[in-house]
Amino acid sequence: MLQSAPFTARRIIIWIGRLVLAGIFIYAGYSKLFTPNLMLQSFFMFKFSISSNISNFGQQVRSYELLSESGVSFVSHVLPPAELVLGFLLLLGWRLRIWATIVTLILLGFISVVTRAYLLGMQIDCGCFGKPEPLTGVTVLRDGALLLLAVLMTVFAFQEARQPHPWNAASNPS
Amino acid sequence: MNRRFLLALATAACAILLAAAPHHSQAQAAQSAPAKTAAHKKPSAAAKPDPAPAAPVLISVNGVKDIDPQKATGNTSAPVTMEVFSDFQCPACKQLYTNTTNRVIENYVNTGKVYFVHRDFPLPMHAYSRVAASYSRAAAHIGKCDAVEHALFEKQAEWEATGKVKETVASVLTPVEMKKVQALVDAGTLEPLIEQDKKTGQLVPVNQTPTAILTARNGQSYPVVGFVSYDVLKTFLDQLIAQK
Repeated sequence: MLQSAPFTARRIIIWIGRLVLAGIFIYAGYSKLFTPNLMLQSFFMFKFSISSNISNFGQQVRSYELLSESGVSFVSHVLPPAELVLGFLLLLGWRLRIWATIVTLILLGFISVVTRAYLLGMQIDCGCFGKPEPLTGVTVLRDGALLLLAVLMTVFAFQEARQPHPWNAASNPS
Repeated sequence: MNRRFLLALATAACAILLAAAPHHSQAQAAQSAPAKTAAHKKPSAAAKPDPAPAAPVLISVNGVKDIDPQKATGNTSAPVTMEVFSDFQCPACKQLYTNTTNRVIENYVNTGKVYFVHRDFPLPMHAYSRVAASYSRAAAHIGKCDAVEHALFEKQAEWEATGKVKETVASVLTPVEMKKVQALVDAGTLEPLIEQDKKTGQLVPVNQTPTAILTARNGQSYPVVGFVSYDVLKTFLDQLIAQK
């Protein structure tokens, strides 16, 4: 006999976290890689579009004045595709604890640099998405809310793994 | 007594109006057609030299219209025309100018491969960018475009905080040059050129600064939005230049 309802608060938060954070990460990665420039006339044009978008994002990373040129280059080339992949992995829900932890750490990094820039009064674009967006208190609050959601999702994902829902436990006796 | 006083007052008023009428109509004509007035003005030893040059003429290069030649540089028969819409107060525009534009001018414009056009696109969100554009335009019309643009971008953080655009411009000009620039800014005769650049940008449309428009010799235009590094832009320029 089943001892609890299929949707507990814990599972609902995991689902909300997965959907919201996956959506935001996929959009963030996509917009950085494919906007503002996307020319599809030829493969050369497409390659140039991606390169110029990465270069544009690199400029936003550089404006935080935290990394060396090689650090800026690494972040601008790795972060957008990583966001895209992590978003899809969150949607899939496979090995959720690993991806949720990585997403939480990335968001922790984001809020640290954004808060620092905000407190220093830096007049820069936040570089959150492809479109330029001035870094304001709203950016800090938004990143804070996303971090909270990511932390809850990660904690609950670990709890879920230790004490699986009866329905999951019944379907996965191992 | 009262009637006499009123009569005298009315006569005096009529005399003043009659005397002022020709001056007023001349001033109106000068306001409505400043270029025409300047062109037909008789030279006079007592008259001060007019700081405003003749009406600015816009040119077309490689199918790109409404170019202010004072804000453009390079060979007009270059295979590629590069227009950069920028705002002096935008940080990414400063980065583009410092890291990319200077090298493009050095390696492509000075070698006749690219015709470069500076377009003003001051954004309303920036308090001093329009003023900076006015000073830059005026400086360009006395042949000091490069020096003033360089100063405005280099000292962007300073004048953005203090609003001292005029002082920034003055720091790279001689007092005589600054006087000419100030006269042009005060006269406002070059403002339509900034408006024209904005209109041209809105037609593209330019949604953010900086935006570069590269036009190849076949007339095809390619907008490149945002900051772009020199190395990335170089590959694209080489490809466009190689096009038949």
